[in-house]
Amino acid sequence: MLWVDKYRPKTLDQVIVHQEIAENLKKLVTEQDCPHLLFYGPSGSGKKTLIMALLRQIFGISAEKVKVENRTWKIDAGSRTIDLELTTLSSTNHVELSPSDAGFQDRYIVHAASAYLTVLVLNEVDKLSREAQHSLRRTMEKYSASCRLILCCNSSSKVTEAIRSRCLNVRINAPKEDQIVKVLEFIGKKEGLQLPPGFAARVADKSNRSLRRAILSFETCRVQQYPFSSNQAIPPMDWEEYVSEICSDMMREQSPKRLFQVRGKLYELLINCIPPEIILKKLLSELLKKLDEELKHEVCHWAAYYEHRMRMGQKAIFHLEAFVAKFMSIYKAFLIETFG
Amino acid sequence: MQRDIRKWLMKAHDKGNDNASTNAEKKPPPTEPKTETPVREGQEGSGRRKTSKYFAANKQKHKGDEEVEDLPAKRKAQNDGVQSVKAPPSKKVRKVEDDEEDDDFSVPKKKNGASPSKKLKSSSGRVIAQKPVDVNESDEDDVKNIESPLKSGGRGRGGRGVSGAPSGGRGRGSGRGGFMNFGERKDPPHKGEKEVPEGAPNCLAGLTFVISGTLDSLEREEAEDLIKRHGGRITGSVSKKTSYLLCDEDIEGRKSSKAKELGTPFLTEDGLFDKIRSSKNIKAPAREDSKVPVEKVTSLPKKSPQKADLKTHKDLAAEKYRPKVPNEMIGNQSLVTQLHNWLKNWNEQFHDAGNKGKGKKQNDSTAKKAVLLSGPPGIGKTTSATLVSKMLGFQAIEVNASDNRGKADAKIFKGISGSNANCIKELISNEALGFDMDRSKHLKTVLIMDEVDGMSAGDRGGVADLIASIKISKIPIICICNDRYSQKLKSLVNYCLLLSFRKPTKQQMSKRLIQVANAEGLQVNEIALEELAERVNGDMRMALNQLQYMSLSMSVINYDDVRQRLQGSAKDEDISPFTAVDKLFGFSGGKLRMDERIGLSMSDPDLVPLLIQLHKYFSYYVLKPKLNTKNYMTILKGKDDNGMKRMRLIARAAESIADGDIINVQIRRYRQWQLSQAGSLSSCIIPAALLHGSRETLEQGERNFNRFGGWLGKNSTVGKNLRLLEDLHVHLLASRESNLGRDTLRLDYLTVLLKQLTDPLRMLPKDEAVEKVVEFMNVYSINQEDMDTIVELSKFQGHGNPLDGIPSTVKAALTRAYKDENKSRMVRAADLVALPGKKKALKKRVAAILEPSDDGLREENGDALAESEEENSSDTEDTEGTGNGEKLQSELLSLNSKGIQVEVELKSGKEKSKAKKTPTGRGKGGSASTEKKPAGRGRGGSGSSEKPGAKRKR
Repeated sequence: MLWVDKYRPKTLDQVIVHQEIAENLKKLVTEQDCPHLLFYGPSGSGKKTLIMALLRQIFGISAEKVKVENRTWKIDAGSRTIDLELTTLSSTNHVELSPSDAGFQDRYIVHAASAYLTVLVLNEVDKLSREAQHSLRRTMEKYSASCRLILCCNSSSKVTEAIRSRCLNVRINAPKEDQIVKVLEFIGKKEGLQLPPGFAARVADKSNRSLRRAILSFETCRVQQYPFSSNQAIPPMDWEEYVSEICSDMMREQSPKRLFQVRGKLYELLINCIPPEIILKKLLSELLKKLDEELKHEVCHWAAYYEHRMRMGQKAIFHLEAFVAKFMSIYKAFLIETFG
Repeated sequence: MQRDIRKWLMKAHDKGNDNASTNAEKKPPPTEPKTETPVREGQEGSGRRKTSKYFAANKQKHKGDEEVEDLPAKRKAQNDGVQSVKAPPSKKVRKVEDDEEDDDFSVPKKKNGASPSKKLKSSSGRVIAQKPVDVNESDEDDVKNIESPLKSGGRGRGGRGVSGAPSGGRGRGSGRGGFMNFGERKDPPHKGEKEVPEGAPNCLAGLTFVISGTLDSLEREEAEDLIKRHGGRITGSVSKKTSYLLCDEDIEGRKSSKAKELGTPFLTEDGLFDKIRSSKNIKAPAREDSKVPVEKVTSLPKKSPQKADLKTHKDLAAEKYRPKVPNEMIGNQSLVTQLHNWLKNWNEQFHDAGNKGKGKKQNDSTAKKAVLLSGPPGIGKTTSATLVSKMLGFQAIEVNASDNRGKADAKIFKGISGSNANCIKELISNEALGFDMDRSKHLKTVLIMDEVDGMSAGDRGGVADLIASIKISKIPIICICNDRYSQKLKSLVNYCLLLSFRKPTKQQMSKRLIQVANAEGLQVNEIALEELAERVNGDMRMALNQLQYMSLSMSVINYDDVRQRLQGSAKDEDISPFTAVDKLFGFSGGKLRMDERIGLSMSDPDLVPLLIQLHKYFSYYVLKPKLNTKNYMTILKGKDDNGMKRMRLIARAAESIADGDIINVQIRRYRQWQLSQAGSLSSCIIPAALLHGSRETLEQGERNFNRFGGWLGKNSTVGKNLRLLEDLHVHLLASRESNLGRDTLRLDYLTVLLKQLTDPLRMLPKDEAVEKVVEFMNVYSINQEDMDTIVELSKFQGHGNPLDGIPSTVKAALTRAYKDENKSRMVRAADLVALPGKKKALKKRVAAILEPSDDGLREENGDALAESEEENSSDTEDTEGTGNGEKLQSELLSLNSKGIQVEVELKSGKEKSKAKKTPTGRGKGGSASTEKKPAGRGRGGSGSSEKPGAKRKR
């Protein structure tokens, strides 16, 4: 089993990183009625872990006995009925699902899911369409007597104000590097590993403050080479590697031909199921590493601009490509201006 | 159209009342001067004369009548209104030019200095107001002409030099324009770089051209257009009559060899331009003596009386000029004769045959009792049928689609009081005339069944009934249809003499159209009518309607008018998205009108944007030439500053395409279909306008073909991979070891999973590695397909395959080990369990977790027998539905403490059960319809552990 899963805290008491939040949650569910909850924070900070621990706190061990199923909903949408299939994770006490997997029909899912009069855990709320969020709002009001929602998302800014105000917002910060180091050392001790000094810190540094990432790459290092050496290379994720390749392609040459090649590579990423927003984000951060100061602001602006449009549109590749083309034209202008 | 026809009708009607001729209308009404500006009034006389100049001759003749009329004059005012609105500005200019050349009067009046502001005034004012502009233009032309010889000479040579080299494969475009296939014909090498001259409208009159190969700067269609506009004639192949062979390169084709044989002179494009230009130069002096149109005008009065009385009783041009005798039919004369003979002989043939027994079948062409005329609409099928019958003294009874032609009542004896079909039956079986009497004195009848292929739902059993009618008929039946090969008519065809009408040639049509035009007092040249004939695609009726329509707004119709009028209607063909994209990006893309562009992009609103998205990289950036300025400025790719501009335009185009995507979401998701034009604008037209030109070759040796965007294919791959990933995700979730999101799985876990799965295989000795990997797979309930998924998703183009370096023996060992392991136990997904009696795995994906075999072994004591019994019974139980549920439940509760459970959910009422397996030790399921049943032990775990679960699921 991967260490990430092996050493995942199962109860609120076992939590290492967000102890304070865990304490509060514990008090919340033991002492009074639990409100709707909205967990938000960057990925790898422990939202899911906290949620699972919280459920366990409420329902005891039975919350861990989950079953996975593909549930079908028949939704009567006026003139026609829509069949929707979605993977749900449910125990006797709670149901967990990611409505955004249903694409633009997410609002039906949100609506249908309210039929479970239990605790409903919704993942990736920030990816829900506006309609679905409104629909969710209604669910929260109507069934607040019998149903508790636990929402989980990365960015609360993409969740409508209305929903945020109906929930108790719990921000889960990304763990600090020393906290990550602490966790890594804890795992190392449990596994009986010899950690060279500074190695855990390097892993934590590379992890971009994502605990999950840190543990995973820690284990990768373990698979790759053990005993550790303090200057051991920490392998990057395959797709990140690829994105930085694209990035250097874009910096090296700005021409329609290159744009065409970049598109091919973007397609490659999309085919490998990398979410387009992540691609854009990563691409930008890679570009920012190499760009001249004066361009940074402009490029950031355009990246944000195209990300927004990407969410509004459907064919992500168009928007990614528009960003690449825009960048190329800006960068080319800049190069010509500076170097003639 | 509708309204205008009505107007025509009304007009004709008025005419009928007044017994006056058309041209009277053209007289300016008394009210007209009031609408004109004071400036105009100064030259009132001339203006007046101008307005009526088209009909100058006629007017004189009918002056007497006109004075009396008031009503038609008013109507004329209306017509004028229509005219001034209708005529597009661009046309005006040319028209004015024509006027200038045709009309003696206008020359001295040119310099009258009317202000340009009058352009939009009444139509009569227009003529004059345009003059100053015209003067300027001809001045410009003169300037141009001075420099043109120099330019054209040099250019011509250059053009040939360039185009000479690749001439090998090209130039087999012997067909007429309109082929828009790729690679059919190359683009002209200097496309759009030359300026096309304008000359006297009839400077090429009487000349016949044949175009061969690729011209230097003009597209084939453009060249044809140019020649036709100047009165020339284009033919497809070289003959003795051909005056010039127009070609810029000698391609040794059939045309050129024939031309050499016949001694036809060759003409280059530049030569043609020079010819046209020079005509402009000498035009001024020559204008007075070469007045073909004026002759026409003078010839009109002769015909006008005839026309006048035609007008009095017929309204629609198509009706009015319907042939009166069979000889007037255009084309298909032999068919008409055949029909004539058939009808003539019908009576002898069948009536006599009826009397004398059936010995007369030998005469095959007339042996059929009915005839089926087929052919496209508007070529005179019905007309010839009626005419022929009329000529032979038959009384034609026409039944067409507007009549009910269903199956006749079985009881025909009920008489004709019922349906129309009964009438027909009655009609054909009627022998009221009795053959003892002298037949010639009696009215013979013929039944014309029009539009038989239109017999449809409303005419139930129509065709069968018609056949029955033919069999018993005592009168001739003429059936008419458009599509002889229609499925409906298959049976009918056997009973009919088939006569297929063909479209008349354009020469035949234009001949007739000229007669009509003359009769109508229209001034039309032959080329224009030929064009009209061609555009309507052989439909004479349509040609007449169009002619009539145009005659409402103008009395001189030239080539361009016809072109413009019919551009939309005639070219209404289906174009593929590829062609559409080619057109949009083609050089002349910039010249297309907006509605044409929208039309192109709408040819497939989903596909065209995708193609465009692809296409944009391959386009040279070409600055759109300003069409109005005389200096064409064409910047080719190399000339702009390091491709800077091009890159910027590509960025803009890309953004515009992305806009299109956003709009598309609005359209599809929120059904905002009114946005579709905006969508096509931003996804197709703007990118196409920003970037157009020919393709740039990005890869060596690629085909000269539109590359397909690949979005569709890529998108489906993405979909497939997402599905696979989701499978993997579910399996991971089912293992209960992890509770992760799908994105997390892809972004963070996948690399590690891959490493865990492949690295040991590479580094450790075979057995150990295999064992380790299989164990890992089992922990996460990853099956082999999932492993393939993991590998597949980690492949990146240009990077190595993650499975490289793993010996195939190891892989095989892994597969074996995994399968072995699986037999005994383990966490796995039920969607892959093969179910007895079911070929396909359950559509519902179910995560199943079966117990490790050691558990089973431990608890096996004595249960095993009972268990197996139970299993057997459970097969039947399942079919019995929920009745056994309770029993199972109780058993289940007793066994609850045991580790192994397979949960079977029987949907109440439905036999078809959906199986779900719960993880070990799980409490009772929430839903009432859930039964749990211990299963999946069995000794040694071999096979039996999965079987129960499988059976249960059926």
